[in-house]
Amino acid sequence: MDKTVTVPRLPSYNRTPLNRFLAYIRKYWFLYMLILPGFICMAVFNYGPMYGIQLAFKDYSPRAGIWGSEWVGLDNFARMIKDPNFIRAFKNTIVINLKSLTFGFSFNVFLALMINELKIRKVKAVVQTCVYLPYFLSWVIFAGLVQVFLEYPSTADVGGVLNQIIMALRGEPIDFLKDPKLFQTILVITNIIKTAGYSTIVYLASLSGIDPSLYESAQIDGANRFDMLLHITIPRILPSIMIQFILQVSSLFSSNFDQVYNLYNNYVISTGDVLSTYIYRISLGGGGTDFELSTAMNLILNVLGLIVVLGTNKFVEKLDVQGIF
Amino acid sequence: MKKYLSLLLAVVMLVSVLAGCGGEKASDPTNAPAADGNGSKEPVVVTNADRKTVSIRFAQFGNSVDDIDGMKNDPIKAAIEAAVNVELEYDTGVDGFDDRMQTELFTGGAAELFPTWGETDKIAKWAEEDLVYNIAEIINAEPDRYPTLYKIINAPEYKAYNALYTGDAEAAYAIYSVSAFADPSFSGAPVYNKAILDEINGGKTPATVEEFVQFVKNCGANGYVGWWPRNNKLTAWNNVDAMIARPQGTTILAPMGDAWTGFVSNGKIGTADEYWTLATTSDASKEVVKQLHEMYVSGGLDSGLGVKGDFDDAYADFAAGKLASFDNGHGYPGQFVSFVKNPWQSAHADGTMADLAQGLALTHNGNYGSNYTTGTWIGAHYFIPTTCEYPDRVLDLVEYLASAEGQDLLHNTENYVYKSDVTSDVWNPINIAYGYQDGRCKYVWFSYLFSGTEYQVDFTNNDWWTAVSKPIDNSNNWQTEEDAAAYDYAKGVISTFVNEVVYYLPAYYNMITLPAEAADIRAKLNDITNQYLTQMLGGQLDIETAWPNYVAEYEAAGAVELEKMVNDAIAAARSNG
Amino acid sequence: MKKAPTEYRRTMLQRYGFNFYDVFVLVFCVLFALVCIYPMWYVAVASVTPYSEFIKGGLMLWPRGGLDLQYYEAIFNTKSTLNSMWISVSKTVIGTVLSVIVTATMAYGVSKTQVKGMKLINLLVVFNLFFSGGLIPQYMLYQDLGLLRSYWVMVIPGALNITYFIIMRNYYSFSVPHALEEAAQIDGCTEVGVFFRIVTPVSKAMIAAISLFIAVLNWNDYYSYMMFISNKTELQPYAWVLHRMLTDQTMMNQVRNGAVSMGMATPPPPMALRMACIICAMLPIMCVYPFLQKHFTKGITLGAVKE
Repeated sequence: MDKTVTVPRLPSYNRTPLNRFLAYIRKYWFLYMLILPGFICMAVFNYGPMYGIQLAFKDYSPRAGIWGSEWVGLDNFARMIKDPNFIRAFKNTIVINLKSLTFGFSFNVFLALMINELKIRKVKAVVQTCVYLPYFLSWVIFAGLVQVFLEYPSTADVGGVLNQIIMALRGEPIDFLKDPKLFQTILVITNIIKTAGYSTIVYLASLSGIDPSLYESAQIDGANRFDMLLHITIPRILPSIMIQFILQVSSLFSSNFDQVYNLYNNYVISTGDVLSTYIYRISLGGGGTDFELSTAMNLILNVLGLIVVLGTNKFVEKLDVQGIF
Repeated sequence: MKKYLSLLLAVVMLVSVLAGCGGEKASDPTNAPAADGNGSKEPVVVTNADRKTVSIRFAQFGNSVDDIDGMKNDPIKAAIEAAVNVELEYDTGVDGFDDRMQTELFTGGAAELFPTWGETDKIAKWAEEDLVYNIAEIINAEPDRYPTLYKIINAPEYKAYNALYTGDAEAAYAIYSVSAFADPSFSGAPVYNKAILDEINGGKTPATVEEFVQFVKNCGANGYVGWWPRNNKLTAWNNVDAMIARPQGTTILAPMGDAWTGFVSNGKIGTADEYWTLATTSDASKEVVKQLHEMYVSGGLDSGLGVKGDFDDAYADFAAGKLASFDNGHGYPGQFVSFVKNPWQSAHADGTMADLAQGLALTHNGNYGSNYTTGTWIGAHYFIPTTCEYPDRVLDLVEYLASAEGQDLLHNTENYVYKSDVTSDVWNPINIAYGYQDGRCKYVWFSYLFSGTEYQVDFTNNDWWTAVSKPIDNSNNWQTEEDAAAYDYAKGVISTFVNEVVYYLPAYYNMITLPAEAADIRAKLNDITNQYLTQMLGGQLDIETAWPNYVAEYEAAGAVELEKMVNDAIAAARSNG
Repeated sequence: MKKAPTEYRRTMLQRYGFNFYDVFVLVFCVLFALVCIYPMWYVAVASVTPYSEFIKGGLMLWPRGGLDLQYYEAIFNTKSTLNSMWISVSKTVIGTVLSVIVTATMAYGVSKTQVKGMKLINLLVVFNLFFSGGLIPQYMLYQDLGLLRSYWVMVIPGALNITYFIIMRNYYSFSVPHALEEAAQIDGCTEVGVFFRIVTPVSKAMIAAISLFIAVLNWNDYYSYMMFISNKTELQPYAWVLHRMLTDQTMMNQVRNGAVSMGMATPPPPMALRMACIICAMLPIMCVYPFLQKHFTKGITLGAVKE
């Protein structure tokens, strides 16, 4: 990381550590003041709950509280591994994330390249306006839209738009939201529609930063547009792609609670239940009060996630880009 | 990087310890009742007005609080607050309400007065962990302050329940709300749209399971939805079960609620030979699921079955004449009356009860299915958590509501006699707020506290058990002629079979308690059933191939152990009571 | 420099004309844009279409059978819906102001990595993106702090937004011209002066962009209500009301009965009310969207890419 501001040398006449410390604080008091509100917030709301992690190793007794409860070692983890619903949710989480990474991520890059290649400026602006918009709508709204579009026609209702089209083409209507085989696909596609536009912003910015003289000289060398895409455009935005990729990979074990919670139902629970929804169900969501198990699951997820993040961040550091740390 | 990470971990630990100390202090046990327990022995009469004004959060399952202004300006709430000198806050919920109550209790933030719904097995655990007050101790210390409650908790029946839950007849940890209906109630007799019945079935009400299944399929073939079994959630199988599974001698329900739910009796109830078999995964149940699947595929069973939120869609569909039959949930005549009003008449201004037909309970090989009931059952238990610092004040509230004064206020009566002067200024705002225009008080807040059916209870002139098992039904006082005619019609139809389908269990069935381990097994079985039934019904799983897995998962989750626990608990209840 | 890309494109156009490649690009982009925008248009149109027309089905491109605003009337005449909108607006305003101030000041401080401790604090913040205590410990903490079932649980705990902290930090590190800051310091300007007189004006666009993002986040948030309040009708945000309209019949009945009592002949069909509700949730976002689109593109990209 390059720093352009240099630290001015402190006066040399006062060398005791305390004085040096105080002088330092006095010099930068304003910066320390600035971070204070955020620091307090973080200490209380982000680090505060962490003492509760010990629940994962305890048998919680409400009367004794978290600290007074008995240690049970790894019992909760043993229980977790034997829990078929946990295994299922774990598997679903990873499979959904991998699908999203494969299709969603590559689609985003592709979309950015396509938008960049649009020649008519007005069309480009309109397309951008349209594709950014869904990002700002919540999953609750999206779930409503999905309901409106994918609903299965019944004798009592005309059915969703998509099924109306299928029937107009004389096909058999599909009960999209109740088919476990389709559910993950629906998750991936709705996620693409919601976030693809937003993801392109970053790529488009890097694309606009490419020096046009590069294309001009390539053109003189006789390269066609596809060659230019391959040899000029893509290498230039590779760092951005890498960052986005890292961010995606690092969330391999996390799951989009908002999306799944609003879209799933019991019909598709076999492929739709993910870790965050499962943790919610067994703690606050009306499926029991298994505090220890939910905390243990959360801990395992965090540890796995952290390993992946640190691993991937190593790669980012090798590239000459600003990582997240 | 490494240096920072280790530093980071050190900070995490430090913050943990600090936060933890704070947390521990907050959850320190507080034993408030002892502090001011002996104050009232003095000759001076202390009234509620002299006592400290406290805030009481009262939690109750499943009532709407969406009418913010109506709640705020509620004169009854104000009257109660003034009489007891408290501030009331109302807390409710539907999905996961029971679990939220336990979560709040376990995290030290329970409402001052909160219930469990159904799962009575929690009480022993809570009492053992000292999470809820022994209210008997507080009441018995001051009989003059709580005369009605003193009478209630010292009733022998009340003490029998105490003994049942904790083994100690003198320790009462909850206010038991007992439910009883004026008419017997049961599931499994739908209401039909007569026009569709005429078109599809020549006007004949299906009387057997086979006829009904055929009817539903025919509806599907003719562009109607045949049946909506009142299940807005995939967990609500009760009406499906009562309609077609029980007449066929089985049940598809997972064990939940009553101890015998999901079980089939060997017919020797009340004798030493009685035995209940878990029938959820039996071969007969498999046939039932197949029938369901067939109805589903034919389009006759509502395809919105169990998907979130189709409850009012179903009402709308029925009113719009798209839905042929609609399960009423509880088969008592009063429900037919309200069903005629909403959805039917609210959608058809000129609609009459003649447009609908009260259905029959179905038979199979000449047999009706049995709805087992004890006639009365224990509904919600209301607790005061030990985190509450003024249990004596909470009991002041309960005492007031149990007294004649409180009951008169809640039910628009004077000395338990309904006041026909319904246009008084006090009642109008409430009737409008709750959407009842017929002049009665439908103030559901506290009426469930003693009687699960929200009827009036008279503790002044009766002992506890008589009062709660024979509640006062004021509903006839507000019936119109039209209502009365619909009521009589429905009652006429229902009376032809009601004695066949309602099976009264001996009184000791009220006293069954399952061991604590049963709760876990039941929760697991429930989850398995909900998932399998849904998928087999919808065709996501092939019934033939999935059934063995279903059975295997049941066994792995402890089905056999549960069957033994249930039969042991029934035997124990029989020998005790 | 700024004219260059256009010139490049013009030469490309001249040389290659409008070939297959361009057509493909155009069709692809327009199709995807339609996929993004049509569902909303459909719902908007359907929500003002009389139900008798709506149930005939078909692709709705324009309201048929006249404009019908009765569903909106039903929604706006229900007390709990109106109240929830008010809650959403107030929590969006308060939450956004608080969050932007807390996050921006912290991001600026931490971006000065040469100052002792900032690197560590940075690590501490980012660590939270990947590591949390979990739902239950969080719940217990809020219980101890008295935040449970209070309005403030929807506002305060989210004050420091870690995702936008990272973006803002990167922006301050790489996009604010340090030469400016140095020059000001040489001129005798203090740190305070640099922050308020130099850095803040320069980063206005970025602050505006992040504010929009955080505001939208706040407007859409129902999670904090669902987890930590869950039962206080007077505090439910509109996003939660919408969720309930989609899944819970009590809420729906409220609105439907309200519609009847205000004079509608029959209770309006649930699907139509749902669509109107969806539109109400989208409307505020749609209103601010065009004005700030430019800002957010700039703000986000400046923060995310190293230049």
